[in-house]
Amino acid sequence: MWISVHLTQLSLDVLCPRWSELPSQARVVLDHERVQAMTPAAADSGVRAGMRRGGVTTIAPEVVLLERDPAREVETRNDVALCLLQYTPELAYAEDDSLLLDVGASLLAFGGPRGICRRIRHSLQLLGFHAQVGMAPTAQGAWLLARHPRPRHRRALQSQTLERRITRLPCSVLPAARPHHDWLEGIGCRTLGALGKLPRAGLQRRCGKDISAALDRAHGKAPELFDWVVAPVIFNARLELIERIDRTESVLFVAHRLLQQMTGWLVARHYAVARIELGLEHERGRHAIPPTLLQISLAEPAWHPEHLVRLLKEKLAQLVLIAPVIAVSLQAPDVVLRPPPSESLFPEPGNTPADHHRLLELLTARLGPEHVLQPQPLADHRPEVANGWLPAPQTKQRALPPGPPLAERPFWLLEKPIALIVQQHRPVYGSRLRVLRGPERIESGWWDGPQVSRDYFIAEADNKARYWVYQDYTQDMRWFLHGMFA
Amino acid sequence: MQPATRQPLLSPEGLHPSLWRGSQLARAGQRCLPTGYAALSSELPGGGWPVGTLIDLLVAQPGIGEMRLLRPVLSTLPAHRRIALLQPPYTPHVASWITLGLAPSQLLWLKPERTVDALWAAEQVLKNGSCSALLYWQPHIRPESLRRLHLAAQSGDALFFMFRPAAAAQDSSPSPLRLLLEPAGDDLRLHIVKRRGPSHNQAIVVSLNPPAADTCVPYPPTSIEQSDALVDQRPSDATQPGRAVPALV
Repeated sequence: MWISVHLTQLSLDVLCPRWSELPSQARVVLDHERVQAMTPAAADSGVRAGMRRGGVTTIAPEVVLLERDPAREVETRNDVALCLLQYTPELAYAEDDSLLLDVGASLLAFGGPRGICRRIRHSLQLLGFHAQVGMAPTAQGAWLLARHPRPRHRRALQSQTLERRITRLPCSVLPAARPHHDWLEGIGCRTLGALGKLPRAGLQRRCGKDISAALDRAHGKAPELFDWVVAPVIFNARLELIERIDRTESVLFVAHRLLQQMTGWLVARHYAVARIELGLEHERGRHAIPPTLLQISLAEPAWHPEHLVRLLKEKLAQLVLIAPVIAVSLQAPDVVLRPPPSESLFPEPGNTPADHHRLLELLTARLGPEHVLQPQPLADHRPEVANGWLPAPQTKQRALPPGPPLAERPFWLLEKPIALIVQQHRPVYGSRLRVLRGPERIESGWWDGPQVSRDYFIAEADNKARYWVYQDYTQDMRWFLHGMFA
Repeated sequence: MQPATRQPLLSPEGLHPSLWRGSQLARAGQRCLPTGYAALSSELPGGGWPVGTLIDLLVAQPGIGEMRLLRPVLSTLPAHRRIALLQPPYTPHVASWITLGLAPSQLLWLKPERTVDALWAAEQVLKNGSCSALLYWQPHIRPESLRRLHLAAQSGDALFFMFRPAAAAQDSSPSPLRLLLEPAGDDLRLHIVKRRGPSHNQAIVVSLNPPAADTCVPYPPTSIEQSDALVDQRPSDATQPGRAVPALV
């Protein structure tokens, strides 16, 4: 089973990306001084394909004229191919801004013929391209169906359906038949069906072998040969922007597109990425500003774009752009081989360590590492020293050597003990406190800083709440509140 | 149908699992974990803390035994899943966590700087599903945020306790279970503000026996000034047997 992706207006899409505001403006792409493609706004003002430059400036002077950029188109087509490698390793370029994908082996993995078509269309939308997707049992058939004017007729799963659909397509769809368009029109041969019924020997003598060979390939009567696209060894995607970006939201759109390409590359090479680098390039030349580099390290190597997009979103939300961005690059310096899929029969959703790592990364990205903590208890008698907390994602937890059973400790510890006033020889916090248990002496810490010398008591207030208070011997036997029993 | 032949519906719970009479406790639609206190469990629908639900705990002030109340249920949670403390009022004390009989590796302390970040973090933790419990302290919260958190909790199987001040008992809440906690020394008094079942007016007293009472030094049941007085007390100059009255000089 084959899928053909036809990029319908590649020349326009590369110059007016979908994610910018440019497509809403009237713009026209010229190829050899003739209109090749135009935005809907330009079409509304009367511009048609094939017009000359002078004609356009006469009828619609406000339209912006752009020169076609073939180098950029080739680059973009490679980017699309890289992104689509996530669906199948067998991908080939075809004439007329098209890509051919052999998806016979991928149908089950991506939810059947409808599912894979929907996902490919979604990927192309994320990349920001207008595309038509055709599906057929042969590559040439899929290529032809991708040009079918009616979207519902672009998918044919049976050979009979394919033949029925192809016979109704106009002759001009076939590139080999285009030079002979006038002649075919003259003899009344308008559809591919009629073309197929012409005497084969005569057709070959007049028009060469290409037409009948293409029709044979479409009907599955002749073999098809392809030059498969191979993913590069190192991933390094860069997107030069048409206009300057000064908002991080727009950067996210661009980064999203680059991440889609990276996903295709990772899947094709069976890699998972452990660290990505997003570079935001600023002004070059005399007033050059060094590029902003955004690094994201992952605790658990990943290859799904959703998690990376969420991380990037939080990182970019915190970023303040120092200058407008003119280009965005994405690199994957650290990759590892992707772990084989879990073979457990009943995988527990949401309970895997990978899910937890993802959660910690996400929380750290937004809240900052000093606000996502896990305990790192130390063997010390002073409660404020023993109660160590460290950032969660980086630290490896050390187990505390098993000691004697600890005395009763409050769950809440005050960061700074509160000095209590004394009434009738009893410390006061809310009301006069009544001592229940104690004292427990803690004398320690002479080796690092001032020595601690305290008698701890468990005290109760009138409303029956329990407090952990101490008398400090180094500070004139004053009372302090240090914790609360929760 | 004739009114005389109409039979009163004796057991509405037979019709649909979410139906119950006003005089009986509802059956829990989700899994419930035992509270560890028989007096409390018998008054809760499903006989325990429901998972995947917003449970409102209204606490008069932090530090009245709220963590000891949750100790039995937290100790039943699997050790490999984390228990997240979000925006607690004070620093959590790891040593106390150990004395409660829980592993410190389970703890995760999140202290966001702003309320929006805290709400976002709560939603992420609940949706991710890798934490077995989320304990969230929030003094002020809007009703729509509560509803959103309740919905997020329903998507997973985490225990979700929300600690709010006692004054919030007057406000409405989407939570199906709300308890008001009052301190009572070694005990804790609980009032059921809201539950799926008949209203409950008496306080439930649960005993939070201190876990390591034997290791504590018992303090004489006298107050400080009395013991100090004992130390400081000099024999009075009054007449004592076997002592001569000092002569006036």
